[in-house]
Parts: sequence; structure tokens; C-alpha cells
Amino acid sequence: MFDDYFDELDRRRFLTGSAAAVGAGLLAGLPATNAFAAGFPSRNMKVYVPTREGGGADRNLRAFTSIWKKYLKVNFEPSFYPGAAGRVGYEKYMGIASDDGHDLLFGNMGPEVLNWVVKKPTGFNVSDLIYFGQMDRDPGIVFVGRKSKFKSLKEIVEEGKKRTIKVGVSRLAHPATLGILALGRHTGAKFNVVPLSGGKRTRAGVATGEMDCGALPSGGIARRGKNFRILGIFDDSNPMPDLVKGAVLVNKEFGMNLPPLIAGARAFGIKKAAIDKHPANFKILTDTSNKVFGDPDYQKVLKKTKVPMELFTKSSSQAEIAKYVANITKIGEQYKDLLTGKS
Amino acid sequence: MEFDPALFVELFTRTFQFWWVIVPAIFLGLVVGAIPGFSAANTIIILLPLTLAMEPEIGLVFMVALYASSRMGAGIPAILVNIPGTAGAAATPLDGYPMTKQGRGQQALAISFVSSVFGGLLTTVLTLLAMPWLSQVAFYLHSVEMIVVMLFGISLIASIAARDTLKGLIAGFFGLMLGYIGADVVYETPRGTFGFLELYDRVPLIPALVGLFAVSEAFAVIEGESILSKRGREAMQKAGWAETFEGVRLALSKWWHIIWTSIIGLVIGVVPGAGAAIAAFVAYQQSRTYSKTPELYGTGHVEGLVAPESANNGVTSGTLVPLLVIGIPGGATAAIMLVVLQYHGVTMGPDLFMDNPELAYGPFAAMAVTYFLMIFTIAPLARYMSRITVVSTTYMSPIIISFTLVGAFVPRQYMFDMYLALAFGVIGYVARKTGYHTAAILIGVILGPLLETYFLRALKISEGDIMVIFSSNLGNILWVGLALSLLLPYLFQLRRAKQEAA
Repeated sequence: MFDDYFDELDRRRFLTGSAAAVGAGLLAGLPATNAFAAGFPSRNMKVYVPTREGGGADRNLRAFTSIWKKYLKVNFEPSFYPGAAGRVGYEKYMGIASDDGHDLLFGNMGPEVLNWVVKKPTGFNVSDLIYFGQMDRDPGIVFVGRKSKFKSLKEIVEEGKKRTIKVGVSRLAHPATLGILALGRHTGAKFNVVPLSGGKRTRAGVATGEMDCGALPSGGIARRGKNFRILGIFDDSNPMPDLVKGAVLVNKEFGMNLPPLIAGARAFGIKKAAIDKHPANFKILTDTSNKVFGDPDYQKVLKKTKVPMELFTKSSSQAEIAKYVANITKIGEQYKDLLTGKS
Repeated sequence: MEFDPALFVELFTRTFQFWWVIVPAIFLGLVVGAIPGFSAANTIIILLPLTLAMEPEIGLVFMVALYASSRMGAGIPAILVNIPGTAGAAATPLDGYPMTKQGRGQQALAISFVSSVFGGLLTTVLTLLAMPWLSQVAFYLHSVEMIVVMLFGISLIASIAARDTLKGLIAGFFGLMLGYIGADVVYETPRGTFGFLELYDRVPLIPALVGLFAVSEAFAVIEGESILSKRGREAMQKAGWAETFEGVRLALSKWWHIIWTSIIGLVIGVVPGAGAAIAAFVAYQQSRTYSKTPELYGTGHVEGLVAPESANNGVTSGTLVPLLVIGIPGGATAAIMLVVLQYHGVTMGPDLFMDNPELAYGPFAAMAVTYFLMIFTIAPLARYMSRITVVSTTYMSPIIISFTLVGAFVPRQYMFDMYLALAFGVIGYVARKTGYHTAAILIGVILGPLLETYFLRALKISEGDIMVIFSSNLGNILWVGLALSLLLPYLFQLRRAKQEAA
């Protein structure tokens, strides 16, 4: 959670702060740039982030936009609206953002779409939002602390048939949570998911032994291999075989057919109304964002985040994103009773 | 993690050589700590590119010094103008500000500095010596135990209510009700938000803090010429260096108090997610419980200032323990230090103490040296800082209001938070005028959400079994301690009454 995003974040803040002292006059004297040229974009891009500063979304956003701005020739201004599992940010964006293409949302599709499916807030409809530019594909996993007595996911399941297993999760409406609940329903093991409000607290809950195990996206745990062990992956393959050894694929191990539960799927979102009104602007956004994936500088920036490179996508496909959102919506509806604690 | 005296001597000698980094960081930390809405965490974030460009050791020393001194800095406006710079200093004005009003601002600052420095220094050295044991605290203080720790802090409301039971309890419960506004931690269901999205993430602390304390105070003091009483003004005019020395003497005379309240801070600081606000309130409550003069608390009592200041500085070294031992930061500032260490390729965890003991113990050495240098750099400033209290309220009140409204805006950058601070200011003003204690409201706002979080979590773990709160041995010991701390003041009072009657 607290990774090198700070590097980017703080460099920006530092530069912003420093520039504030000396830059205003200098900026006034600069010649007009393309940012002010005719056409789209005609101003800086505003990005609504539905989480706190400092999380994975923040880290990825800064990495991506540091390159994207080269192609759009304007800067990005992120604003953070945390609260109620992303609902504050989504409602703010859908409520006050302009629909000319200059205002975007950047979030984690999996948990946020799932949260909408579970809560169905009245302030917006998730189908009024189109995602694009998916940056990562980080599957949900089951993990234990390094001192845990559990050596395999099978052992946890077997124990779960004898007693209730306490599973620390980031929040209820989360693909990783859904995975562990589905595993319990399939095997008959009893899992009590306990939302610990974020990855950091979930790791703490597992590391200190308050939880028997945890379910989170893989990246943050894989990087802390000395403190944790990953036992199971909710995906069709292990994305980091060199880093994550000994973890089983849940579907294969337990004969299940869950779709890949991608817990980290960060992408940009734009109002459907903005696309309908300004399709050319949306084309510029998708064309330029697609160029970022192939930019060698982007790879350098990603490496600095210290997140395993295998978790970042090499390109982004609208069809794949639509399929992912449809999948997560469907499975969310299917397991809604579990995610709302009704069963 | 074995004790090696030679390593520690070398570490301290080496850290002293960085005085040229530590001293500027101390002054910077004092300034940012004193500004509401700013903190060591966001200042370190702003300066991170600078620290990353430094040698890793120097960068770390700089951050640690900034962290420690900002904690102390937050107490300065809390004492002088009733504006706690951070939630960790929320208990400081309870006795610090009444001292200022009596014209003893300089003394109060000196007491605060000495308590902070010695509390911080002591707990840093303790952390170094007892790291293997301290690192285990987080393994025992889980949700159930933390419920009782929260109740220790919240029971301070009962102490405040002792002066006027009904009004104290009404204020406390009103604060708790405000604290429960927002989305719950289990199902993320918004409650009591009145449709304001800005309240989904709970009532923000800084607007509540500055509104209840500072804005309401600004409204109240504008009715007079000065925040000082007439005698207070006379005392301030006569005040010289002797006042600072008297403050130092008074604080040092409470050396035992500094020790045990700072240890409360250290133990609470070790628990990830707990913080200086909890530690300060718990220490204040415990200090009052075991005091021979509990009736003096809230009137400018030395022990009432020593306790929260020692405790919130005791937290400082505690938050670094889970960071270094299990790689999980105990607080926001510790999280940023983790970033720096990771940037330099350092992996946290028990192996660090074997692989790289200089780096593992380095932050504590830097903290100890910082506290030591603060004695000489900060204490002499008390005399000059306290002069701010003689400024006429005609100027002081508008300055406080505008300053704190900006402070309310800074953390989340919502205009809503400025209006909220004003609303809390009005609530605080009405509370003052009608004899309700603003501190009781604030305790509810700060500790209520934490209590609810741990309580709901414990209930979720136990699948709804309320008896979970008595399910752990340590928790039960804490329950007994809590019961004693609520009963003992009455028993002491009865004994004193009997003795006086005899």
C-alpha cells in the first residue's frame, strides 16, 4: 500500500509546492503551449479518484499519467474522494464532473463495480460509466502470515470444515472476498470474512494472528514474501511463478469454475454521456492512452513502483474491459447474499 | 535483536554528527506541527524528493527529527491559543490553556517541552532496549483488547461529568453520536450523513477539533480584551526567564508521572492503527484517576499537562516498532519512512535486525538525539512564544478564525470542511455558554468511531456473540483495570472525606 507511489506523489507535491514559490511568475512568462491550442483537450484533465491518496490507484494513476501527458500535451490534476468503499468518488464524478471529456475517473473496477452491484446507490448507474485504459490485472489471492500453521489452502479448507476460519479482507464487496466465500460455499468450509478497511490493516490483522488468513490482491503480498505466504490464487494461471511459489490455482485445486477474480483492475472511467456528446474526444483519449502502453518510458516508470511487472497490462482492450465488468456484475449478483452478510 | 552496547555507542556517536540536519528539521517540525491541518506526514510527503536525494541515513535522520519535533510543535498552539495542531494534542489544552489564561503560558510551554522531551527520550531508549518484547504487543492487543483501551479514553467523559454529571454525560454522548456519522466499517452503509457525501468518510477530525476548541474560543474571547485574565496579564508582564526555569522545575518534579504516562503512549503506539490521540486521552484519564488532587484537573494543573504531552511523544517511537519488526507501519508518518527504506532496497521484518542492525536501530538513535537536542533548542523559546497571548483579542480572534478555517480546509480540500469547522465553532460556543464541556464532545468525536470500529470488528469475528468482549485473558485484565480506574477516584474521595472529618 505504501509503496513508491509516494515517490511519484511526493515528487509532484514537492515540485508543486516549490513551484508555487517561484513558478507563478515564470509560468506567466512562458509561451503558449499546445495545451492551449484549439481542439481537445483544451485544458488540464481532471481525474476523480474514489480512494485516499497513497493507495494502489494513486500510485498507478501517477505512473500512467506521467507518460500520457506527453501525448495529450496537458497535465493531469487528480482529486481524491475517499469514503463508503468508493461510492463518494463515484457519486462526485457522476454528479459534478463535466461531460466534455476533460474530466475522468480513475479507480479499481473490480471492488468498485462489485460495491455498486451490492449497494445499488441511487446517485448513479454504473452502466452510465465506460471504463478504458486498464492498467493492471492483479488476481485475488489467499495468504497467511509466515508463522501460520497452515502450509496449504487445502489445510485451511479442511480446518474450515471443523471450525470457522477468520479471514481478513479489505472490504466485503471485493473480488478476493468473493473468491474466499465462493470457496467456502463450494467446499463446505466455513469462512467468516472480517473487513479490515484496506490492505495495510488486512496485512496487519494476518501478521499479528488476529485473522487465520487473508484475501487480497496479490501484488502487495508477493512483494512482502518474507512476512507472508500466498497459498491460493483466484485466476486461471499464476501471474508471478518466479515470485509466488507453492500457491495453488483455486479452480484447479478444488474443481471450481469461478471466472478470474481480478482484485486489482485499475482503469479510467468516463461518463457515457461524454462519449455520446463528444465521440471524437473519446477517440483521442483512447488512442493516446493506448500509446502509453508501448512507450519505453512507461516501462521505466512502472519498474520504479516496485510492483511486480507481471501484474501490469501490456495493452488495454475495450472488449476485454466490457467482458470483465459484465463478469464481475454477474458474479456479484450471484453472490450478493454472501457479500451483504445475508447468508 | 540482541542488545549490543558497542553498536549503540557507535550509533549514537554517529547520529550526533548529523546535528546540522537535525536542528533545521526540529524547527521545521515545530512550525508544521503547530499549524492545524498540517502534520509531519504531509510535510515529509512534500519533502520526500529532497530526502530521497539525500544519503539514505541522512534522509532518515531528517524525517525522524521532523516527526518527533512536529509532535511537540502541535502542543504549542494548543497551550497558547487553544488550537491543537493535531488530534494527538487534543488533550493538551485541557490544562495547558487554563494555565495560559492565568498568565502562565511560558511555564506551560516549558512544562510541555520538558514532558515531551523526557517522555520521548525515555520511550525511545526503552524501545531500543525492549524491542523484542515490544514487537509482541501488537500480537496481543487485538480488537477485543482495543475496545477496553478505547473505553479507558472515553471514560474521561465520566471524569469530566463528575463536575456536572448530567451536562457532562449529555456532551459526551452527543460527541459519540457525532462520531458515528458516516459509513460503517463492515457493510459500508452510510448513517446520519443527512445526504452529505462529505460525511460518508466520518466527521473529519481537524474541522471538529479546530471548531470545537479554537473557533468557539475565538468567539468567546472576543467578548473581552485579552485571552488572559487581569491577573494573568499582570503576571505575563512581569514574566522573565524565571518562569521558564520554574516550568522546567515543575515538570521535572513530576518525573515519575512523565515516566509512566509516556510508557502508556509507547504501548499504545506499538499497536498499528492506534494513535497519539488515544494515548493522550488514556494517559490524561489515568493521571486524573490516580491523582491525589483530581479536582484540580482542567484548571491548569501541572500533571494534567504533563500526562498528554509525555504520552503523545511516547507514541512516536512506538509507531516505528511494527514498521521495523513486521513491516507494517504504526501510523501515517511511519508509512512514509517505509517508502524511503523500500526505495533504498531495504526489506522490513525481523531479518533486518540481523542483516542491517544499523538501519534497524538507526531511527531510534536519531529520535533520541533529536529529543536531546530539542532541550537546548526549544526550551529557551518558551519565553518569546508565550508573548503571543498578550495580543489584543480584536486582532487575535479574526486571526484564529481565519487561520483555523484554512487548517480545516487543508487535509481534504473540501469547502464543506470550512463550514463544518464554523458549525462546530457555534456548537462549541453554545456549549461553553451553557456549561457543557467541549472536551467531552471532542472525546466522543475522536474516540467514538475507533471504539465502534473495534467493537463491530470483534462482533464480526465472533459472529455476533457479544460475550466476545470478555473472551481474552488480557482483555479481562484490562476490564478489571478499567473498573478500578472508574471506582478508585470515588474510593479515594471517600477516604479523604473521612480523613478530613476525623
